[in-house]
Amino acid sequence: MASPVPVMDDISLAALTADPYPSFRRMREAASAVWVSDARINLVTRFEDIMTIERDHKRFASTNPGSLMNKVMGHSLMRKDDEDHQVERKAIEPSFRPGVVKNQWTPVFDGIAERLIDGFANGGETDLFGSFAAPMASLCLAEMIGFKDVSWQDLAAWSQALMDGVSNYGTEPDTAQRAAAASQAVNAAIDAVLDHHRNRPGPTILSSMLHAEHPHSVEQIRANIKVIIGGGLNEPRDSILTTVYGLLLNPDQRARVTADPKLYRTAFEEAVRWVSPIGMYPRRVTRDTVLGDTQLKQGDQLGICVGAANRDETRFSDPDAYDVFRDRHAHLGFGAGPHFCAGTWVARQMVGEIAVPKLFNRLTKLRLDEDRPAIMKGWVFRGPVSLPVRWEV
Amino acid sequence: MVKITFIQPDGSSREIEAEPGTSVMETALANNVDGITAECNGSAACATCHAYFEEDRLNSLDAMAEHENDMLDFAACERRSGSRLSCQIKVTEALDGITVTLPEMQ
Ligand code: HEM
Ligand code: FES
Repeated sequence: MASPVPVMDDISLAALTADPYPSFRRMREAASAVWVSDARINLVTRFEDIMTIERDHKRFASTNPGSLMNKVMGHSLMRKDDEDHQVERKAIEPSFRPGVVKNQWTPVFDGIAERLIDGFANGGETDLFGSFAAPMASLCLAEMIGFKDVSWQDLAAWSQALMDGVSNYGTEPDTAQRAAAASQAVNAAIDAVLDHHRNRPGPTILSSMLHAEHPHSVEQIRANIKVIIGGGLNEPRDSILTTVYGLLLNPDQRARVTADPKLYRTAFEEAVRWVSPIGMYPRRVTRDTVLGDTQLKQGDQLGICVGAANRDETRFSDPDAYDVFRDRHAHLGFGAGPHFCAGTWVARQMVGEIAVPKLFNRLTKLRLDEDRPAIMKGWVFRGPVSLPVRWEV
Repeated sequence: MVKITFIQPDGSSREIEAEPGTSVMETALANNVDGITAECNGSAACATCHAYFEEDRLNSLDAMAEHENDMLDFAACERRSGSRLSCQIKVTEALDGITVTLPEMQ
């Protein structure tokens, strides 16, 4: 017999933000879905339940009429299902294919990483968040989109303002205003290059949108570019830092990975499992139904906690450990199903093949800064917000 | 019903009655055939449903889109002439009696 969704009113947003994993464990043990009062949403935390959800988007939809995301960014592919979703997804695919990533984007990403490391390599110490991971993710994304004359700081600020706007739930007018301003700025940046890409087809995302079999309308371009700015910047940034952090915390694993560079890819994949950059994303229940041991009602909002599922002990042994050499199992860090991350192969290359190996290759005896500990934060999005390191110059 | 034989890397095999209209990937998952991960559940985005189809029957399969072609180069196991993403192959009568060999790793 399925039970109603249990209520947990002793889990605070502050506790989730500081370290969600003990709370995630309690939720996994409690039920297939748990109402967390402070988060005002039903959280789903078990691996199998999330697979069930992702295999049945008729019962568990991404389309969400009341979505704040639609209001802030416009109606993007992330909040569409079926045909509507597929048409837009297919349109952007040519910029994201693994072969295109390898041939077109790798040299671009490579140059960006080298230049950034040149900027601090002689210093002996840095906080990798601001000096490397954030500009790396932002500069690469600007190239992929096809922007011209947009600074990495502006793009990063737009990304943050849009994401804050989406998770603001309409409570703070200031946040809503900043999101609206960022949205305008993105529209202007798109307008500035649209004709260029219309006349000169290439590998950029804007070009793919314009030259697809079913070209995007300007409205679709604006919404989908905003989703890509919101969702394509923080995640590679955070996973660069988490991979470096995981390796620096585990010297034996680091020694094996640096000795056999093809393991950097696995080190990245394990980082995305260990501390998933997107910890939670939403789905909507379309009719009364049962999920695992829990009765859900039509209209229920679900928070799909892949960050929790990736620590599910029924799937991963010793799940809290960062272990590059664990038995290989698919994880949910890139989601699953029709909305499986479009940028997966971009991230694998940018982070696992370029950013992280280059750091370890170029900075001799890289280590964590003994005096300034790394700081991890977040649960909907999670990663190091500061990663001070030192090396020998 | 359409009969598909799945062969594991260790040589063991199972014949499955597949339902026309579903994909070969879905057929494998629905029948608990090992060796298909299908992380993206059929979106041709993950390359974890890679399988080797009988070469002399490739003509009877749905044509390969450029996206699938690109993705196959990045599958975890070596690409061979029979390589396809099993999520992109619809079960039709034309597949009856085909063998599908699974790779060592997805
Ligand atoms: C380690 C890095 C990354 C992680 C962990 C990640 C994670 C995810 C996840 C979990 C989803 C599913 C969201 C949902 O179903 O609602 C997603 C979707 C998406 N991601 Fe990523 N992502 C990463 C990098 C990127 C990059 C670099 C880009 C673009 C340049 C990108 C573009 C997208 C897009 C466009 C979608 C929406 C796909 C759709 O709705 O069909 N991602 N990502
Ligand atoms: S299931 Fe992902 S490519 Fe086939």
